[in-house]
Amino acid sequence: MRSPAAAFRWELGTRHRWILVALPVYLLALSIVKWLVIGPEEIVAFEDEFTGFGLVPLSFAFFYFIAVFSFGLNGDLAGRPSIFPSRLFTLPVPTNELARWPMVYGGASMMLLFLGATVLARLALGMKVPVLWPAIMAAVVLAWTQALTWMPYGLRGMRVLAATAVLVAIDAFVITAINFDIPEALLVAFLVPQLPIAYWIACHAVARARRGVVPDWSLFNRAGSARAVSIAAAFASPARAQFWFEWRRHGRSLPSLVAMVLPFELLLFFVGGYGSKYFVWFVTTAILVTPIVMAAFAASTISKANPFAREAYGVSPFLATRPMTSAELIAAKLKMAWWSAVATWLLMLTLAPIGIRWSGADSVLIDAIQRMTTAVGMPRAIVLIALILGGLLVSTWVMLVQSLYLGLTGRLWIIRTSGFVVFVLFSLLGPAFRWFSRSTDAERWLWDNWPALVAVLFAIKTAAGLLVVTRLHRRRLVTDERLLLMTAVWLVAVAALYSTLVWWIDTPLIAHYRLLMIATLAIPFARLAAAPLALASNRHR
Amino acid sequence: MNDPVIAIDRLTRSFGAKTALNAVSLSLPRGGVYGLVGANGAGKTTLIKHILGLLQAESGSVRIFGLDPVADPVAVLSRIGYLSEENDLPGWMRVDELIRYSRAFYPGWDDRFAEELRQSFDLDPSAQIKTLSKGQKSRAGLLVALAYRPELLVLDEPSSGLDPIVRRDILGAVIRTIADEGRTVLFSSHLLDEVEQVADHVTMIRQGTIVMSAPLADIKASHQGRSLDDIFVSRVGAQG
Repeated sequence: MRSPAAAFRWELGTRHRWILVALPVYLLALSIVKWLVIGPEEIVAFEDEFTGFGLVPLSFAFFYFIAVFSFGLNGDLAGRPSIFPSRLFTLPVPTNELARWPMVYGGASMMLLFLGATVLARLALGMKVPVLWPAIMAAVVLAWTQALTWMPYGLRGMRVLAATAVLVAIDAFVITAINFDIPEALLVAFLVPQLPIAYWIACHAVARARRGVVPDWSLFNRAGSARAVSIAAAFASPARAQFWFEWRRHGRSLPSLVAMVLPFELLLFFVGGYGSKYFVWFVTTAILVTPIVMAAFAASTISKANPFAREAYGVSPFLATRPMTSAELIAAKLKMAWWSAVATWLLMLTLAPIGIRWSGADSVLIDAIQRMTTAVGMPRAIVLIALILGGLLVSTWVMLVQSLYLGLTGRLWIIRTSGFVVFVLFSLLGPAFRWFSRSTDAERWLWDNWPALVAVLFAIKTAAGLLVVTRLHRRRLVTDERLLLMTAVWLVAVAALYSTLVWWIDTPLIAHYRLLMIATLAIPFARLAAAPLALASNRHR
Repeated sequence: MNDPVIAIDRLTRSFGAKTALNAVSLSLPRGGVYGLVGANGAGKTTLIKHILGLLQAESGSVRIFGLDPVADPVAVLSRIGYLSEENDLPGWMRVDELIRYSRAFYPGWDDRFAEELRQSFDLDPSAQIKTLSKGQKSRAGLLVALAYRPELLVLDEPSSGLDPIVRRDILGAVIRTIADEGRTVLFSSHLLDEVEQVADHVTMIRQGTIVMSAPLADIKASHQGRSLDDIFVSRVGAQG
């Protein structure tokens, strides 16, 4: 390794080699599955569900590359200082090179990713997708993200606003161009010159960061130095203080992520044309699941007790020596995650209707709601919509907190193994779904045996719940009163969902006890209750 | 009130093949400053982590104020002030936020004392922790460890790598703490001259085993008044 370029390539490549290998393997496997299951000649349409199994990991990889090559995984995006790693500033390398190599490798990786996906889409799936401009646009988005996130800012949160504004502007321009059938060559001519501009700004940003420049435009902060400590209002309890700590540390991540992604998704309504109701439903579904998908990203940071600790997943002595029980520390995380999910959905329910209304796509959705109201009646329609929105909110929260019981163990092998298992299961999901949808025997078997499958899952969940409760009681991590309260709250939630299901699904085809099992499976318990056990084992090793 | 503040009985702890603590027994009565000295890797921090309940005893027992710090962390930790060697205060907090956050956990928090410490340590309340120098971070950590006048103050290599002014502040804080009757300080350090200045009882640890634990005056008397440095080298050895 004799050059800075090779050193950067080694660092970026080594740390993220698994994803760099896993994604091409996954896309290749997906193409083989298409050839074997659907057939080599059949053309896959954009709205076909099979496309989703390529688009979801591709989108994941897109955001992952942005996070990796902008060094956003370890930085404080909302903070004022640059997120460019300060450890690199001491390298005997000119500032331009510090900015150049992450940009070159990032841009090249992004272009390869999109070119590879395009080639596979055209050759393996038979889709007619543009070749060049999506790859260049991905590289441009990354370059601007790097330039704007490496810049030091004078106000907290300004980085997110600046990056969102610039990226949305580029996205809007390109989408408008597509709508007016601008030739690909012109799009490329618009996009390519942005790469050197972004590079120039990135060099300027890294140079400022290297000199330690962190402007302060906050009048509040400057006035703050004169304040006496006693003026600040006290927290009412340790639980409130810990909730504040968790909120400041993690609470704003999910709303910020969704605020960055949502405008891009809403702009899709203007691209695809809302004449196709399938497309409208596809985009609407994508928008509705965005908080849940983004919550999976945000969840990985919530498990990290302290990014400044030697081991990010280990509990830092500062946190471990808080005079609180492990259950109380977990309660603060759960509460923070709930309010983070609520804030995210308030944002969604404010922005999404505006975008849908402006695009004119609302007519498709209103029509569907009217037909549903006619079919099932107004009260059931209202309850169904409330259930869907409530379910999405709860699912977002669950996604934020369901892996705490793994992440808080602090054992890297557990965290990595579980991540690998999830990836494998997700990879198998696509082919399995396709197989079931095409095999009448499989569908018949599933239809005949789903109660048994639900019963097995019910038994596993009940056994896991009992095991966790027994451990919590034995280790005295939760008082008996709290344990009873937790169980009572869970039972009330199950009963409420069961009653709603019984009222809504008024059919003799599904026995009520099966609805009870479904309600039991839907309300989380064992994994959440196991989080204090995980934290305690990490905190008192 | 005569119960020892720290009572450790035959505590053993291993990390893989390495035995970090080997049947360590230690009993520290209430009041006074106890110096814990040993070379790098001798087991000082491991011992302190057991006292705080951050490590669980593999064998033997640890009792702080008569309580098990793992089974009852709230009751134990609310009476201990701790300054970590790692200085891992959350970098995103401002100094005033750190004070506001910390005082929520301790009913005995003394606002006036905290403000007095902040001023004497010259800490800007609006400064972010991550922008502070190493010495200032140590002062901030010391402030939140002292402001509720804990019964037991545990300092793990508090002055390692710090300039003489910050070290003086830390020693001053130790002296102020012991000025409060009945309070106990456990002070681990490489800097034996510092330990010699403030400790009235010294425990030497070598490769996970306590090789000497006695009042400083007795140690010096039995070594013909030699300095603690000389005694340490002769008992613990340069290799630790």
